[in-house]
Amino acid sequence: MTEKAAKWIFWLGTLSSLVLFLVLTVDTHSQFAALTHADQLDEQVIAGKRAFEHYNCNDCHTILGFGGYYAPDLTRAYTRLGSDTIRRRLAAPDVAFADSYRKMPQQNLSEQEIADIVAFFRWVSEIDNHDWPPQHSEARWKRSTERLMAGAVLSPGAALINQEDCLTCHALGDRGEKIGGRLEWIGSRRNSAWIAEYLANPEAFAPGTEMPSFEHLSGEQRLMIGEFIVSLDTAEGR
Amino acid sequence: MTYRTQNVAFPYFVVALLLFGLQVIVGLWLAINYFFTVPQDVVNVFSFATARAMHTNLAVLWLLLGFMGSTFYMVPEETESELAWPKLAVAQLVILSLTGVTALVGFLFGWTQGRPLLEIPFTLDVVIVIGVLMFLANIGTTMIRAKRWTATQGSLLAGLVFLALMYLFGMPFYKNLAVDWYYWWWVIHLWVEGAWELIAAALTAFILMKLTGVDRKVVEKWLYVELGLFLFTGIAGTGHHYYWLGAPKYWLWVGGIFSALEPLPILLMVVDTLRDVRKRTKPLEPKLTWVYLIGMIILHFIGAGLFGFAHTLPGINYYTHGSQVTVSHGHLAFFGAYVLLNLTFFYFAIPRLKGLPGNNYDERAGHWGFWMMSLGVVGMSLAFAVAGVLQSYLERMMGQSYMLSQEPIRFWMFVVFLHGLIVVAGVFITIKHLLTLKPAPAGAGGGAGS
Ligand code: HEC
Ligand code: HEC
Ligand code: HEM
Ligand code: HEM
Ligand SMILES: [Fe+2]
Repeated sequence: MTEKAAKWIFWLGTLSSLVLFLVLTVDTHSQFAALTHADQLDEQVIAGKRAFEHYNCNDCHTILGFGGYYAPDLTRAYTRLGSDTIRRRLAAPDVAFADSYRKMPQQNLSEQEIADIVAFFRWVSEIDNHDWPPQHSEARWKRSTERLMAGAVLSPGAALINQEDCLTCHALGDRGEKIGGRLEWIGSRRNSAWIAEYLANPEAFAPGTEMPSFEHLSGEQRLMIGEFIVSLDTAEGR
Repeated sequence: MTYRTQNVAFPYFVVALLLFGLQVIVGLWLAINYFFTVPQDVVNVFSFATARAMHTNLAVLWLLLGFMGSTFYMVPEETESELAWPKLAVAQLVILSLTGVTALVGFLFGWTQGRPLLEIPFTLDVVIVIGVLMFLANIGTTMIRAKRWTATQGSLLAGLVFLALMYLFGMPFYKNLAVDWYYWWWVIHLWVEGAWELIAAALTAFILMKLTGVDRKVVEKWLYVELGLFLFTGIAGTGHHYYWLGAPKYWLWVGGIFSALEPLPILLMVVDTLRDVRKRTKPLEPKLTWVYLIGMIILHFIGAGLFGFAHTLPGINYYTHGSQVTVSHGHLAFFGAYVLLNLTFFYFAIPRLKGLPGNNYDERAGHWGFWMMSLGVVGMSLAFAVAGVLQSYLERMMGQSYMLSQEPIRFWMFVVFLHGLIVVAGVFITIKHLLTLKPAPAGAGGGAGS
């Protein structure tokens, strides 16, 4: 190869890649508004982002898959946990994770900061990012729940969940609210006996939670609810 | 050493090495956090997040100070003139070191911009920009006054200007998280797979010309090709970080294709180096400098090229993104490419700065340092890789919750820690050896010239 050819390779290579990159950057900017629902990016969401940065949450947690790998990814935190679950963890991580082998610092966030961070997570959870992370794919949860509901005769546990209005706070398949955690997500980390016990006295497990007690149900009914929730786990082979 | 002002390089090397020592100690603490339950009271005052910010910023800080020192060593020889303002170079070191220390202490008190790797607060960023401008002015003026342009120094200067420009994109507050990460990668990716590669290619070319005596024309011709391929694959290759952040789908194609080609220029660098070594007109002496140089090109290729390629295609990255697989690649690539580059340059420059006879030195302890560090980092990266594959499988594919999938990983982080101990020992042996280089014992080797 001559030196002249080498210089050509340098300039052609560099400039062609640069031009392509800059053109796509401009185009990406024109699409960000729609892909990230920028119209919902209000003052509270921005305040939440500032708080998230102020407390350096991102050096333990990933968000959109970037950051420290020490704690759960928060891209879909809102989808998975719901607003009150997040609130209680931020208000008292020392209590919420008292039994865990890995701790989150108690940084004494104000009520306002917590509300802002929840708003931020809510906005982030709606970013259209080609359904990453796979383990928190809402589409996958909904599909598998649909299949479960279609396949089985409505289980007694499912009937109880309807009867007790759990979905005024919890999400399930296409339905429900996001105050407590998505039932599919709960099912992937708990067993039925634990859930039965929890339902009798949530306050004992999660001090300060909004979740009411379901002591009025019999132990057997609570266990049936637990079995249904555990059967929602996508890792169960569906 | 032929120019008096090259001496300003030495204090840069000293500060860089001391920060390196601190960085790996903090690394051990990070690994401990993974397998040992740190009590809540400790976490409240000194959390993993704080330690991680220190570990990564120390890494970037010392590597950059090392590059700057190397530049101050190289530019007088390339331009065949003294540095324009040697005193400014010293002032710059003081400013940047003080800023770095302030930033580290600030992290302990929660003064942070809160974005991984770019935690340094805006105010301090401004001081850093001033320091870097002093640096660019100093070497730019030296080159312009000397009017002796070479491709090697051109690529070094281009890399440094590119590096400085990209830093600016990491400074502002972005309201939109997706846009924030979009530009975060202009700093991180375009540094390590763009600007820093230019610097690496230039410094390596310089050392090769000096050590092998191979003709400048040959080295610089291939340097053009390397740079062209680095930038061709690296710039559009930034797209391999845009898969899952809320950007359009075409990035899966653009990022996937261009970044899959990124190992090629690294491979070319390996081939070029080996060719220069074969065609050398001087003996390979002292041996340790060569162990470093060859070790660097091999681990650069494995860490960046192979480990990078392993998770760069979108179909794989969907499952490995943001897992310990990333950490595995990050460590082997940073170590192989930039830690070893700096240390190679230090081993090349310090004997010359000290005027040791024949530019040779007593190399015994240095070999221990090299092998302990290198094997330690390779072992560590393999343990991170096992942890990462487990995490990708259990969490991402099976759908286990994060904390459940972390349980088997705790063991592998203990393995990381054990290798980390070897790394730390190797690092301290190396630091001590470099800072107290002694003349070679009588009878060991002749002179390697220049
Ligand atoms: C020292 C590291 C650390 C820092 C800093 C940190 N966290 Fe955490 N966080 C954790 C760990 C570890 C867990 C998981 C504990 C468990 O589930 O046992 C967690 C859990 C959470 C959860 C629940 C996630 C889930 O899926 O169960 C949320 C939400 C959360 N953190 C938000 C935050 C926010 C917001 C901040 C910043 C104000 C923050 N974290 C700072 C370590 C940290
Ligand atoms: C008023 C809202 C509300 C209602 C109604 C409600 N929950 Fe909850 N639930 C919550 C909240 C909030 C949490 C999160 C507690 C915490 O902070 O850990 C929760 C937690 C749980 C958990 C534990 C999750 C875990 O893994 O830690 C289970 C199981 C659960 N709910 C099941 C139910 C069932 C079944 C019903 C109906 C019989 C129900 N909940 C009704 C709000 C509610
Ligand atoms: C004793 C040796 C070392 C140990 C035990 C160690 C350990 C760690 C750990 C546990 C993390 C945190 C990863 C996470 O967020 O989960 C980390 C991050 C990091 N370390 Fe090290 N480290 C060591 C040496 C080094 C060296 C020599 C370098 C290179 C200069 C380096 C560069 C980094 C970088 C760049 C990150 C961020 C990685 C990422 O975001 O993927 N480390 N290290
Ligand atoms: C010397 C050069 C390189 C260095 C120092 C390096 C370092 C790093 C680091 C530190 C990260 C983690 C950043 C973070 O999220 O915190 C990373 C991510 C990544 N690197 Fe590299 N890298 C290099 C070259 C390459 C090459 C050549 C490729 C591809 C062939 C590559 C592919 C990737 C990919 C795909 C990711 C994203 C991982 C994820 O999705 O989490 N890297 N690199
Ligand atoms: Fe990259």
